[in-house]
Amino acid sequence: MTVSLSARNIVKHYGGVVALADANLDVQSGETVALIGANGSGKSTLSKIINGVVALDGGQLLLDGDPIHLSSPQAAKKLGISTVFQELSLIPQMTIEENIWLAREPLRAGLVDARTLRKRTAALLALFEGTFRSSLQADTPISALPPDEKQIIEILKAISFDPRLIILDEATASLDNRQVERLFQLVTQWKRAGKAIIFVSHRMEEIFRVADNYSVLRNGVTVGAGPIKGVSERGLVELMVEKAATTGTMKRDRQMFSAPTDHKLRLEVKDLQTDVLGGVSLQLHDGELLGIGGLKGQGQRDLLLALFGDMPYWGEVTLSGEPVRFKHPNQAIKKGVALVPGERAKEGLLFIRSILENMLAPSWKNYGFPLRMGRARADALKVGASLGLKMAGLDEPVSSLSGGNAQKVVIGKWLLRDPRLLLLDDPTKGVDVGTKAEFYKLLAQLCAQGTAILFYSSDDEELLGLCDRVLVLHDGIIRAELSGTTLTKANLVAASLGASDEGAAAAPGTRPAESVPSQRVQ
Amino acid sequence: MLAVILFLASGLLPNGYGSDTSVALAQATNIIRLSVFLGIIAAGQTLVIISGNEGIDLSVGAVVTLTAILSYVIANGNDSRVLPALAVAVLVGAAIGLLNGAGVIFLRISPLVMTLGMSGVITGLILVAQHGNVVGAVAPIMTRIIARPLVFGIPGAIIIWLIFGILMWLLLERTQFGKNLFAIGVNRVTARLSGIDVTRMSVATYALAGALAGLGGFLVVGNTGVVFINMGNSFLFPSIAAVAVGGTLLSGGKGSYWGSMAGALVLTLLTSLLTTMQMPDSVRRMILGGTLLVLISIYGRQRGFRQ
Amino acid sequence: MNKFRWSTFSARRPYLFTLLLLVVCMAVNFVFQPGLFERNTLNSNMRVFLPSILLAAGQAVVVLAGGIDISVGAILSIVNTILVTKLGARASTGRTAELLAFVLVIGMLAGAINGFFIAYLRLQPIITTYATSFLFGGIALAILPYPGGAIPAALATFYRGTTPLGLPLAFLVIFLMLAAWALTQRTRYGRYLYAVGGQPDAAYATAVPVNGVQFSTYVVSGFMAALAGIAITMLTSSGSAGIGDALTLTSISAVVIGGTALRGGVGGVAGPILGAVILGFVRNIISFANVSLWWQTFVNAAIIVVALAAPGIIDLFRRVVYENIKDIPAARRRSAGGHSVPGQRPAA
Repeated sequence: MTVSLSARNIVKHYGGVVALADANLDVQSGETVALIGANGSGKSTLSKIINGVVALDGGQLLLDGDPIHLSSPQAAKKLGISTVFQELSLIPQMTIEENIWLAREPLRAGLVDARTLRKRTAALLALFEGTFRSSLQADTPISALPPDEKQIIEILKAISFDPRLIILDEATASLDNRQVERLFQLVTQWKRAGKAIIFVSHRMEEIFRVADNYSVLRNGVTVGAGPIKGVSERGLVELMVEKAATTGTMKRDRQMFSAPTDHKLRLEVKDLQTDVLGGVSLQLHDGELLGIGGLKGQGQRDLLLALFGDMPYWGEVTLSGEPVRFKHPNQAIKKGVALVPGERAKEGLLFIRSILENMLAPSWKNYGFPLRMGRARADALKVGASLGLKMAGLDEPVSSLSGGNAQKVVIGKWLLRDPRLLLLDDPTKGVDVGTKAEFYKLLAQLCAQGTAILFYSSDDEELLGLCDRVLVLHDGIIRAELSGTTLTKANLVAASLGASDEGAAAAPGTRPAESVPSQRVQ
Repeated sequence: MLAVILFLASGLLPNGYGSDTSVALAQATNIIRLSVFLGIIAAGQTLVIISGNEGIDLSVGAVVTLTAILSYVIANGNDSRVLPALAVAVLVGAAIGLLNGAGVIFLRISPLVMTLGMSGVITGLILVAQHGNVVGAVAPIMTRIIARPLVFGIPGAIIIWLIFGILMWLLLERTQFGKNLFAIGVNRVTARLSGIDVTRMSVATYALAGALAGLGGFLVVGNTGVVFINMGNSFLFPSIAAVAVGGTLLSGGKGSYWGSMAGALVLTLLTSLLTTMQMPDSVRRMILGGTLLVLISIYGRQRGFRQ
Repeated sequence: MNKFRWSTFSARRPYLFTLLLLVVCMAVNFVFQPGLFERNTLNSNMRVFLPSILLAAGQAVVVLAGGIDISVGAILSIVNTILVTKLGARASTGRTAELLAFVLVIGMLAGAINGFFIAYLRLQPIITTYATSFLFGGIALAILPYPGGAIPAALATFYRGTTPLGLPLAFLVIFLMLAAWALTQRTRYGRYLYAVGGQPDAAYATAVPVNGVQFSTYVVSGFMAALAGIAITMLTSSGSAGIGDALTLTSISAVVIGGTALRGGVGGVAGPILGAVILGFVRNIISFANVSLWWQTFVNAAIIVVALAAPGIIDLFRRVVYENIKDIPAARRRSAGGHSVPGQRPAA
């Protein structure tokens, strides 16, 4: 089998936002190209264009040298292009075999050939044999599977029709060590068979292990490509990120600040448990910036939501000296707590409403009846100015703002209320570097003013640079509390993987490191 | 927007009735007066649709009939019984709305299904109440205020509507309730994380819509002076169409009552035109259905799968 | 090894509960109407139920794929009015056959209109079919402004008298529908229905022709509504433009009772068919239980509301109970080796 795909000068807009301005990619039989880029660089958009899910606005796709026009995922499939998605394309209520073979079931006299189906499914499942936690039956509904097994089914589905080109879009996100290992073995087999593979990822270790070539996207433009042997991790990072801001500017000037523990104890949590959290305890003082680290999905979100009143929990929480149990966010808000949620579009913004309304959403009660719009506008403008919000006007819909500015609105919503405890769920995700820098300054300011901040970030560098202390969550409990001299990248990473005093790394359920530390903790 | 253009067009047409401006003015006033009832009934519908979650209230027709009959019976031609009649109409409407809201929020029943089922129950109740003949009468003061000219020759109904319109605007744009309503219509998760009690808001919205429908029933009977079974039905479909014409998004989170008022005017104008042309009811229905279809084709298109 | 697990068994057969309900219903009906299972009574009952059964089957297909069709009653009315006006009492067999075929096409056309607006213009199903219900209702009214009309006596006797194997005609029809559905479930199209109803975005990404599937369900619904219109015409031997109005809600209730959730992707056609029969028996019970005529409409409507509310009530009950008796969460048990109090970690 031979195949070659070229993407030339691809352009894509979503409304007013430019996702891709000039994207290029080349891949051929028997090679793996790593498609790399920071959040918001357009990686996913490009892979969706190649797969036919999204239509391109400009540029060209060439398959085997001929220009092609992909009108739908079906068209892409017919040409032999297959994708393993980041957001799963599985139907929860249907079974494993139904999902794998959906739209491609083997037929006999017009009816689905159940026996052949079962046989072929068993053959596919065998490819990942030994990496499942439980034995996998072909007629188990998808909704009953844990995320890593769902991802494996997604992979099996993508290869079930023997495609020529396979796109792995962050496919290793939920897989554990063994599963990733097996996947990479399969990738080697596929390359030998003449398939071409596009590997979209931000995990350096995996990229250097499996890719032959690389292609880097930054802000929708392809800024570098070539063989992986000719580049270092540092080199790739420099391509991904604009030169100006690297780890240097993130360091918060800690000296301007007196020891946090001298301040009032704002929050005390004892043995907080939810379905995911196994019993978390912490203390947070005014003016302290406490970071929460660890790999995604280890309970960070649960912790923040529970403190904000959006999730039921067991355990004790004491705020400003009084025991509390918030059953609804408005109770938490009344006591001076604020939450900047993880998914900006889904949880933080009222997309079609104006900037003014978004900023004032929790606060209208304070403006009387009938609402004093003049005062509301003045307050909103003041907060906007202090955040450096770039907008056309308060009445513009918030959908007209760029990612960074939209996030400023989400933050501004809470700053308007002068919160005493600020909870942040990965606030700089999908935010451009310039805004990130402004944001770090803001956090420093808030701490200086005495706000207590609890801050989850999926970016280790941020945690290292900003926080006084970092609690690393793994598998629902605090695996490590790092501060001062123990607050190092290596310790962060080790704790994220669940490494403990007792020795070897992790029980099943952990994943390989996000980037290669120079030494590994034993 | 389109609604404004339509409104202007509807304003022009009455003047086409000949060169005599006083006749044209009388025609226009009549149309506006007729629109009042649809307009007030459409108010509740507007609120429910703005609140999102596929919000719709298919029980307004039955509520209008029920509350009209109740007002008729309670007032019984007696001026002193008018206020109690009004109170009962509004409260009964609110109670029904409350039940609707409870079913939608707590039992997670789709608003369509809940309110449709409710309308069947109410109609059944009406039959139960009506199995004797309905004895009652409209109190004279009701007719005087609603049907007859009140100030400067403007029928009381129109004045009531104007005041009502201003109150609705205040509610939607200058109260916490209004701002919260738009919020839950756009995104319930964000609304909750901004401290809004989505449950309470939603149930309250349906209750309020029911109350407004009750008010509508009271006014309708005050205008016509008689009651008959299914008298509210002719308002149901137009109430939804009026909201759609007025530019309120059927998916929620955006809209205004002025738009619904304009929509009510347009629809009443359309209906009376058809009546003047002696078009049968069947044509009226077809045109109403077709108009709504055209409108949502322009305004109501949702995201496709391919972007 | 495949252990028999009740939860998976019952989840894949949502009509089990409906079946139970049916048995209960028939028992209650029997109490009030001892002659229920006599051949003539049964035949006459099933004749009355058949239009609703046909509507429910069509509605089930639409709902399964994630939509809803509120215009079925109006389509039924159109078919009814066409038949009684165009046939008359003296139509020949040939003409009758022609017209029957014609109205089936009309039904599919109406469904296609719905399908076009919903599947291709991507409008909301509720408001679209509501608008078309008015449009179609107006057409029915235009065709037959006043109740009346007639059909050949032969048709009525055919409907009344046909008893294949001595059983009511409806049984044969139900059997055919169940057979057709069983067949459909084993085709790719059958799986498409569940996929589109369950998670349309995922189905689209998997190259399922989502728009086409949704469009087809409305055509099916229109076809079934036309069949139901034919049935009801043969039943009543007369026409009325409003004949279908009440039947729309019945079809939706039957679907809900039948275990096919309105959100789509769950259930089937068998349950709703049983649901329609149950609703028919309920109406019987009401009339035979000496409920005063004036109360009948109310009671019937109340039962429909309760039926629609039942899944929600059960769910609410489960949620409340679950919240209160939930024991220590699994996470605690899992991390048997970890501590809940943080300690210092040695530097590398």
